[in-house]
Amino acid sequence: MRPTTETRQQRDPLSLRHRLILALLTPLVVILTVSSYFDYQLAKKTANNAHDQALADNVFDLEAHIKKQNPSFKLDLTEEAEAMLRSNAPDMLYFSVSDPFGKVLAGDADLPRLPAPTGEQVAFTNGVYHGMPVRIAQHLISINTQDFLISVIETTKKREQASARILTAMVIPNLAVILATLLAVILGVRQGLLPLQEVERDIATRSANDLHEIELSGNPAEIRPVLSRLNELFAVLRGSVKIQQRFIADAAHQLRTPLAGLQTQIDLATSEGAFNNNTERLQLIDEATTRIGHLLSQLLAYARAETSNSVTDKFETVALDRLVENSASIFLDGALAKNIDLGFDIKPATTPGFQWMLQEALSNLIDNAIRYTPTGGVITVSCGEEKNQAFVDVEDSGPGIPDEHLKHVFERFYRIPGSPGNGCGLGLAIVSEIAQLHAATIQLTRSEQGGLRVRLQFTQHSS
Amino acid sequence: MRILIVEDDKLVAQGLKQGLLQLGYTVDVAGSAEEADICVQGESFDIALVDIALPKADGLHFIRQLRARGDHLPALILTASDSMDDTIRGLDAGADDYMTKPYRLPEVAARIRALIRRSNAVTDACLSHDGLRLDTLSRSATLNDEPLELTNREWAILEMLLMASPAVISKDRLVQCLAGWDKDITPNAIEVHVSRLRHKLAAGAIVIRTVRGIGYRVDAPHN
Repeated sequence: MRPTTETRQQRDPLSLRHRLILALLTPLVVILTVSSYFDYQLAKKTANNAHDQALADNVFDLEAHIKKQNPSFKLDLTEEAEAMLRSNAPDMLYFSVSDPFGKVLAGDADLPRLPAPTGEQVAFTNGVYHGMPVRIAQHLISINTQDFLISVIETTKKREQASARILTAMVIPNLAVILATLLAVILGVRQGLLPLQEVERDIATRSANDLHEIELSGNPAEIRPVLSRLNELFAVLRGSVKIQQRFIADAAHQLRTPLAGLQTQIDLATSEGAFNNNTERLQLIDEATTRIGHLLSQLLAYARAETSNSVTDKFETVALDRLVENSASIFLDGALAKNIDLGFDIKPATTPGFQWMLQEALSNLIDNAIRYTPTGGVITVSCGEEKNQAFVDVEDSGPGIPDEHLKHVFERFYRIPGSPGNGCGLGLAIVSEIAQLHAATIQLTRSEQGGLRVRLQFTQHSS
Repeated sequence: MRILIVEDDKLVAQGLKQGLLQLGYTVDVAGSAEEADICVQGESFDIALVDIALPKADGLHFIRQLRARGDHLPALILTASDSMDDTIRGLDAGADDYMTKPYRLPEVAARIRALIRRSNAVTDACLSHDGLRLDTLSRSATLNDEPLELTNREWAILEMLLMASPAVISKDRLVQCLAGWDKDITPNAIEVHVSRLRHKLAAGAIVIRTVRGIGYRVDAPHN
């Protein structure tokens, strides 16, 4: 059982275009074939009747000739009459006149022998003569009480040619109809599916957090139900993302108060001399609580950055130079504690965005630089505009990021194995989240001092 | 010095109280905004440490009421929330400073000192910093109780740096500040003044630090 279900699953279902083509072409081909068959038969019969009429004319000519001679048992047909009868290109014409007993009085003696017709009319049948299909016309006449059977046969070349012509005349337009239908279906389906392609493009170009609704108007009625369901799904997703973010934020928030209590108790115990004999233990406890505090701040920042998506219409003009200047006061003490030369190169630069988010992103970059730059290093934060695009650079003299880790550093909680410092692996994930919202690119390159240079390049212009 | 802690979490409140008691402050704890309101109306405090999330009315409400009554009691917000919006709301409500949990006791103590100093500076027009004293009324300065001669420009630069300490002040802002009576002053001239100031302050513990690419700042006082 299993293999069959697998093969069924593996086979792609027919595309809409194929389904339509199949659904339209199958009945079309059947209808056209059947109707062609009947039309062909009808046309052939009409053509055949016309040819039969001509053949009958030959019979009547012969009859007239015989009557004129007032024949006895001997019939004399002039060569002229014979030539007239036989000149019937491209078909060959043969005739015979015989008495009721089958004795041939004139013409070709070896014509196929048929039962004599009974009526007054000329009778037609098909036959074979000298291996060729022929049409046979027979007429029984009576002259001076004497009965004569006139037979005229004709090869069917003319009739075959006519049939072929009729067939061609019918098949070509029918084929044209089928081809035209095929083309109309292909073009029609392509045209009809254009809105779907637009929807596809809309969804494909979205960022992972962009869950805004698809515009229904402008889309065909047939795909609107699908789009509404999709929008409902987006709404559900938005809701659950929001709940998740709120949970993270609430949890981080709630954890901070007891952590503050814990830290105060540690500070008190320290000042009371509890760790006088073991300063290393104090340092480890201190590091642990600092790390928890940092992680909680980062979690809150990440949750806030993620929930603030698709509100870019509330952007305001942010002066990046002011943000960088503010950072000096925030980070100078941290840098001094590690004897790091924290410097700045500030040129005017603005971009549309959220000020607190951009400050958060910049703070994370500088915080990272201080964390990973060894004691005595150099960090330079610069901003400005290049080719009409605002940028912020944070360069350090730290170890940089090895190539094999470059593509992972924006993942949440990713830390380069063996790296120093007590980061939590959220910093660059937050920066990337904020950059994405602000249509900014993040470039990681080697700094002039051999460390890391992170550039935030803003592609949007503040009006 | 008397401090009021407005905090409903006992662990945090008791920890802070003990820490500040050890530093020689007198400390009272109020578990709600309502209780804190009664405290400040009956007694006199030098500073209030206020948590935003309180059981009924929140900390911002308490600070707003305080300011509405014209009470300039310095208020330092201690909160678990550190979003820009909350910071702005806190400062708009009339708080003087803002700290996010978790905090370290020495840091809280430093902020308390700074706030008390600032509020004293408003009342007695005096800036003190590591043995340096600027009396803004008499325009006289002393360093380790020795008279200190300062030019007008040096005074203006030092005053600005002290008021902002430990924040960084850019050279541009110093230029703008001095441009009032010295229209053609350049960033280079600022450097010269700062260099002279450093020379005059060499005997004290005060440090005017150069921040590469921006300007200067006076490090936070040591005591």
